[in-house]
Amino acid sequence: MSSSILETKGLYKAFGGLTAVDKVDLSVESGKITSVIGPNGAGKTTLFNLIAGVYMPTSGEVLFEGKPLGKTPPYRRAALGIARTFQNVLLFDNMTALENVMTGQHPRSRYGFFEAALRLPKAHREEETISLAAKRYLNLVGLGMYADRNPLSLPLGQQKLLTVARALATEPKLLLLDEPGAGLNALEKQSLSELIRRIRDMGITIVLVEHDMDLVMGIAEWVIVLDSGQKIAEGTASQIQRDKKVIAAYLGDEEAVE
Amino acid sequence: METGQFLQYLVSGLTMGSIYALVGLGFTIIFTVTGIINFAQGEFVMLGGMLSYILFTSFGLPSGLAILLSVVAAALVGIMLYLLGIRTARKASAVSLVVITIGASIFIRGVAGQIWTRDPVRPPYFSGSESLSFAGAYIQPQVLWIMGTALVAMIVLHVFFSYTMLGKALKACAISRAAAGLVGIDARAMALIAFALAAALGAIAGSVMAPHTTVSYESGVMLGLKGFVAAAIGGFKSHTLAFFGGLLVGLIESLTVAANWGPFQSEYADAVALIALLIILLIRSRRLSTEERAS
Amino acid sequence: MKAILRNKWSYLAFGALLILLAIVPFTPRLDDYTMLMTFIAINTMVTVGLCLLMGYTGQVSLGQTAFYGIGAYVSAILSKTYGVNPWLAMLIAAAATGVFAYVIGFPIFRLRGNYLAMATLGLVLVVYVLFRELGEYTGGPDGMAGIPYLSIGGLAFKSRLAKYFLVWFFCLAILLVSQNIIRSRTGRALRAIHGSEPAAESVGIDLSRYKIKIFVLSAVYASIAGSLFVHTLRSVNPQPFGFMASVMIVTMAVVGGLASIWGALFGTAVVRILSNEVLLRFGGLDIIIYGVILMIVMILVPQGLFVGLRDTYERWRLKRTRKGAVT
Repeated sequence: MSSSILETKGLYKAFGGLTAVDKVDLSVESGKITSVIGPNGAGKTTLFNLIAGVYMPTSGEVLFEGKPLGKTPPYRRAALGIARTFQNVLLFDNMTALENVMTGQHPRSRYGFFEAALRLPKAHREEETISLAAKRYLNLVGLGMYADRNPLSLPLGQQKLLTVARALATEPKLLLLDEPGAGLNALEKQSLSELIRRIRDMGITIVLVEHDMDLVMGIAEWVIVLDSGQKIAEGTASQIQRDKKVIAAYLGDEEAVE
Repeated sequence: METGQFLQYLVSGLTMGSIYALVGLGFTIIFTVTGIINFAQGEFVMLGGMLSYILFTSFGLPSGLAILLSVVAAALVGIMLYLLGIRTARKASAVSLVVITIGASIFIRGVAGQIWTRDPVRPPYFSGSESLSFAGAYIQPQVLWIMGTALVAMIVLHVFFSYTMLGKALKACAISRAAAGLVGIDARAMALIAFALAAALGAIAGSVMAPHTTVSYESGVMLGLKGFVAAAIGGFKSHTLAFFGGLLVGLIESLTVAANWGPFQSEYADAVALIALLIILLIRSRRLSTEERAS
Repeated sequence: MKAILRNKWSYLAFGALLILLAIVPFTPRLDDYTMLMTFIAINTMVTVGLCLLMGYTGQVSLGQTAFYGIGAYVSAILSKTYGVNPWLAMLIAAAATGVFAYVIGFPIFRLRGNYLAMATLGLVLVVYVLFRELGEYTGGPDGMAGIPYLSIGGLAFKSRLAKYFLVWFFCLAILLVSQNIIRSRTGRALRAIHGSEPAAESVGIDLSRYKIKIFVLSAVYASIAGSLFVHTLRSVNPQPFGFMASVMIVTMAVVGGLASIWGALFGTAVVRILSNEVLLRFGGLDIIIYGVILMIVMILVPQGLFVGLRDTYERWRLKRTRKGAVT
């Protein structure tokens, strides 16, 4: 039985009077591609942010590799091996594409102020390592030739790939993708699916929140469905497609599951 | 120390505290509605005091009218600051907005010092300066005016925010600008009103304070700083806490002078506010969760 | 991190600067400006810290002159009253200032709000009062005089020329060190914070730790500048360390540009020259003019004047070459 890399137990998050995530128990199997879906307002993004550490649970817990994350802040979760991308991209427009990916190496490198200030050999050596690693990840997502470009000069689809490269550079065990397919055309979504599979093959567990059903059904090995903050179903893609509760939830919303 | 003396210090602390409270309210109003720390807040107080003096002395207006006009003038300055300084700012970032208000505050101060006078001035007392005797302490009527004004202002604001449409609209902006926009509240109009209101409040504080403490073109700095501490006690969110925070700062200040102990001689009374600020910030930084820090 | 400067234009500009620095004290009509340039160098060290601070933490410090003053007074007191070696005194002053900045910065940068401006305003006011009142240590409002020179191996930096070159050496060293930091992993972290705080956190960057570091660095720079200041003037008094001096530094930083290292030099020079040539003639108008400059620059060019000009130039250059590559 493969282990759960990520679990939530009774996870509950309320903002004032509004309950966003309502006592959700879930478990993500290591090495698989899991997708979280649900109609608008189902609480997917909140769940995501709870896992990433941007929000703290009102009650309940999030466990990573069996250990509760508690109040661990986002920057430390990155060092633990949880990486994420953002729905609204959030690239660093004050550095090149390569440098963006190099920031991903931050938790895997060490040299600091003094070494940098005095240009010590240790700094040079680590910079070489960081730079090489970043180039590797940049090539992995197919953006190698844009290393010196300003990220804003790239089209949206490639910007999103760049953020994936940046997240990969943190050498994560778990990769959280927040609506990676939004705003992409069919061809780009195809490349994205292939990339996600390649990342899975590297041994990284992937959880994606996504609205595009084709994308989800195409790559997800496990699907968790949320509605109004609660988990209403989970299973393989084909199981979910036939689940009556899921269909009902979506018919109440504009988007319909095919 | 005898009760009379102690009471005197207490009264003095509450008096200045009332002023700090009003300044703190001004900071809180602007921050909650616009997210901006208005560095020029102290200058509105200065304007209230100085203008009421100028209008009374140089223009011979009756005291009451002078005060009214000075409050209106200060509100206009607040509106101008918003329109010219904040609204027109391109690609404004938090840094640039703070610097703009810093620039505005020294500009106002400099102009006041140039076109009026650099010496401290004292507008007339509202009801004479004959001290009243109470339990061994001598209380000047102006002190009662100051404390009374602060109290009335607090009550009026409370009623305003809780029961009037405009007040509730301002509060809505404070909670969420986006949501307020959805129900048709114009955030920019609200910001304008917030600035005007905070400026008026400051000017009222200045007008009622000036006869008691005198006012000069430089008064704004320290008042702004202490009002900021009051607002910080309220977390820049709560008007009530800011109000009591101001009273607290005034009391601590007065009592450290009273204690006259070692390093806390009266010259260092101002330092008390700064130390209080740092301690408050330290306490708050420990209690804030990551979430509040991150989001 | 390969080359020391960005591109060949930077080398050219730097070379021009070095040549200018070398010529001025020796040219008949220009050597009157030697003292002015010495002070520009000293001020730049304070300004650059503030530029970095404003650029990378998004907050304003009105208290740079407090750290400047602490560096100055600690150096003065240690070297004059206690006969400590001036270099050692400078080091101790820098360390003490750094620790002090850390203590203040720690609660402030862990919070979300914009507390730095007011807190540092309070700081500079209090420190000024302390300088003035702790007469037995600081010499009170009149300050202290007869502070020893800095010297290396028996050769004292006594002459105007020696001080000029000493101070500029430190100034350029600090600018280059800052450049090294910005182009390193630390600098990337800072730039990431500047770009997007949530994204920076997602790649493991501890926001408050870096903000505090930059704050401490800016304080240490200011302290070194303060030490050099007293060894240049050989005297110290509370005057240059008050609130107005802080405002002048902010103006220099704003004219220079947020997060800009060489912009700090530009901003300092411009404001210094302006204040010497123009403002000295118009007494109390200086505070009004600083206020106007701060407002106008921040309203029109929120990233700072020099940076704004540079960006406009780069965009013009891009349009001409029509290439997508921007470095």
